[in-house]
Amino acid sequence: MRSRFSAWIIAAATGAVLMASAGPASAAWKGYISHPLGFAFAAPGDLKIEKGKYQGAVAGTHDTTVWRSVDDGIQYSVTVIDTTAEANKAATLLGEAEYIFQDQKKLLMDAFGRVDGKFGRKLTIDLPNKGGRTTAAFWFVNGRIVELQAHVPADGDVDTPEMGRFVDSITFFPVRAADDALELPMPK
Amino acid sequence: MRRFAIATLLGASLALMAAPAQAAWHSYVSHKLGFSFEAPGDVKVSTGTYRGQLAGPHESIVFRSVDDNIEYKVTVMSFMQAQADGATILGEREYNFQNEKKVLMDTFGRVEPGKDAVYGRKITVELPKNGGRTLGAFYFVNGKMIVLEATILPANGDYASPDPGRFIDSIVFQLQRTQQGATELKLPE
Repeated sequence: MRSRFSAWIIAAATGAVLMASAGPASAAWKGYISHPLGFAFAAPGDLKIEKGKYQGAVAGTHDTTVWRSVDDGIQYSVTVIDTTAEANKAATLLGEAEYIFQDQKKLLMDAFGRVDGKFGRKLTIDLPNKGGRTTAAFWFVNGRIVELQAHVPADGDVDTPEMGRFVDSITFFPVRAADDALELPMPK
Repeated sequence: MRRFAIATLLGASLALMAAPAQAAWHSYVSHKLGFSFEAPGDVKVSTGTYRGQLAGPHESIVFRSVDDNIEYKVTVMSFMQAQADGATILGEREYNFQNEKKVLMDTFGRVEPGKDAVYGRKITVELPKNGGRTLGAFYFVNGKMIVLEATILPANGDYASPDPGRFIDSIVFQLQRTQQGATELKLPE
């Protein structure tokens, strides 16, 4: 009886190890902070930096800086749109960015975001043509639009909590950043 | 047949007389504040105070009228020194508006087309303790927060009335679009 029980334990443990090793490898989450931009967040994987453009009817055309990582099939990005020259239009610029994000897409969530004395919005959309699901948060920080997006492809786990973990990781108080947060590299 | 027609006419006339008297809608404009809107009845001006945890205390100008047990209100607050914080100040006001109330609608508001667009939000809430229903619209323009609220009071009871929507959607920031003959709003001294 005892030997049969031991065999069952060993089989179960082996199965668990095999299942764990067969699952997708998730990278560790790291804290990042940008003192000049005034925010911090957490994301898994290695962040890549790139430049881009943002265009809105009210905002006009602006340079953007994008930090991007991919982990376990989920794309994470933080986009900073420099609108410091028009910061007096903060509310409309932020509203326009939110509107563009969800325009002509299936809107699943549109809710208040409130972090460290700032109000923004959190939205979740389904992209057309089975393009997957994106959760985003929008903030206006020191004259800049800060947009966090986490995207899961249609064949991924669209209910994963990792998207929420990412967009909710933002903080505007440096003291709330992870102790070992890495300084975000800026484009050259 | 003639008797029936006369009776019908009389009945219709009586029904019209028995219905609550509704005031005509007028267009109002403030060139100084930079907006116009339409509302029924006589719009009275008063001053008030708004306090937000983030916005702090601010004096407000309130334009208000009541018609058919619907209260129409436009509140203007100046944040000239904090325009870059407009998104958060506006978000806080929207949040306070719906906090601890039943939200029936919360959607984008956009006034004026193209590059002149002003983005805000439109929110409908049910007031607690059967206090009625309020439709609010929230904008931040040229350093001013402008809030339009139309409250259908329980005495009216027609919560599907289109009048709050007409009021909220009448806001104009490009004053060339203001209706001709609009009454200039008097500001408090």
